[in-house]
Amino acid sequence: MIVFLSGGAKNGKTALAEDIAVKLSGDGRRFYVATMIPYDDEDRARIARHVEERAEKGFGTLEIPRNIASAADPENGGSDATFLVDSVTALLLNEMYPGTFDAEADPAAAERCRDGLLRLAKKAKNAVFVSDYLYSDAIRYDTFTENYRRNLASLDRALAAVSDTVIEMTAGIPVCRKGRMP
Amino acid sequence: MDFIIGGAYQGKLDCAKKRYSLTEGEIYTCTEADGIAFGARCIDRLEEFTLWCVRNDRDAVAIMKENRASWQDSVLICQDIFCGVVPMGADMRAWREATGRLANYLAAEADSVTRVFCGIEEKLK
Repeated sequence: MIVFLSGGAKNGKTALAEDIAVKLSGDGRRFYVATMIPYDDEDRARIARHVEERAEKGFGTLEIPRNIASAADPENGGSDATFLVDSVTALLLNEMYPGTFDAEADPAAAERCRDGLLRLAKKAKNAVFVSDYLYSDAIRYDTFTENYRRNLASLDRALAAVSDTVIEMTAGIPVCRKGRMP
Repeated sequence: MDFIIGGAYQGKLDCAKKRYSLTEGEIYTCTEADGIAFGARCIDRLEEFTLWCVRNDRDAVAIMKENRASWQDSVLICQDIFCGVVPMGADMRAWREATGRLANYLAAEADSVTRVFCGIEEKLK
C-alpha cells in the first residue's frame, strides 16, 4: 500500500506516518528513510535521539539523501519491507543542490527524483511518503525558491496520483483526500 | 459561474480544462502587468489581477461587480495565498487582503466551488 501525507509544518505528520508504517508492516520489517543531511552538531544530536526513539517502535533507519529508489535495494531494505520516506521536501533539495546552495540547481533533479520515488513506490511492499505543503502563502518568491516549489509540487502530484491513500494534515488532524485511512 | 481555488501548482487549471473541456483559446490568464480582460470562458490567475489592482489602486471586487454579466457563466480560478505568515511588505499585505475579499465574493456568487489539493478535487460548494 502507498500512502502520501502532506500539510503544514509542525503538524504531527511524522508521528502519524510512523503509526501508519507500523500498522502496514505488521510483523514485517520497517525502515525510516531519512533524507535530511545533518549540517551541525545540533542536527546530529537531534537525529541520534530520533533514531533511538524509532528503534523502540521497531524501525531500522536508512540514511538516503539521494537516489531514493535504492532504499529497496537488497543491501538496504529490500522490496518486501515497509518504508517511511521523510521527507520528499529534503530529498528534492539534496538532488537539486548536490554541492552548495549558491551553485546553480541541477535542472534534471526533479525528473530524477520523480522517477526514483515512483520506482520505490512500485517496488516496495508498503511506502509512506511525507511532504510539506508550501503553496498557500502571499509571498512573491525569488526564481530559485519558485523553481523549487514548482518542482516539489510536481513530485507531490505524481505521488498522490499513484497513492492508495492521500492525507492532508491540519493542526494535527488528518483528513483523507483520497482512499481511506489505513 | 464555477470557482476553483487551491495552492500554487496544485493542478487547478488542469482540473478546469478536464472538467469543462476547455481549449487553450478559451482561457485568459491574468497578469500583474495587464490585470484582467473579460469575455473568456475561463479566467485564470485572478491573484495576478488582484496584484495589478493593488499596484494601480483599484478595487478588485468593484471591477468584478461592474462586469458581472461577462463572467457569470465562466470558470474562474484563483490561487489560495491565505495560509502563510502575515507578509512583511505593505503591498503584499494589501495583495493578500484584496485576494481574500475577491475569493470570498466569488465563492458566495458561484454555483460551485472546488478546491484542488495535489491534483485531487474537493467540492466545497
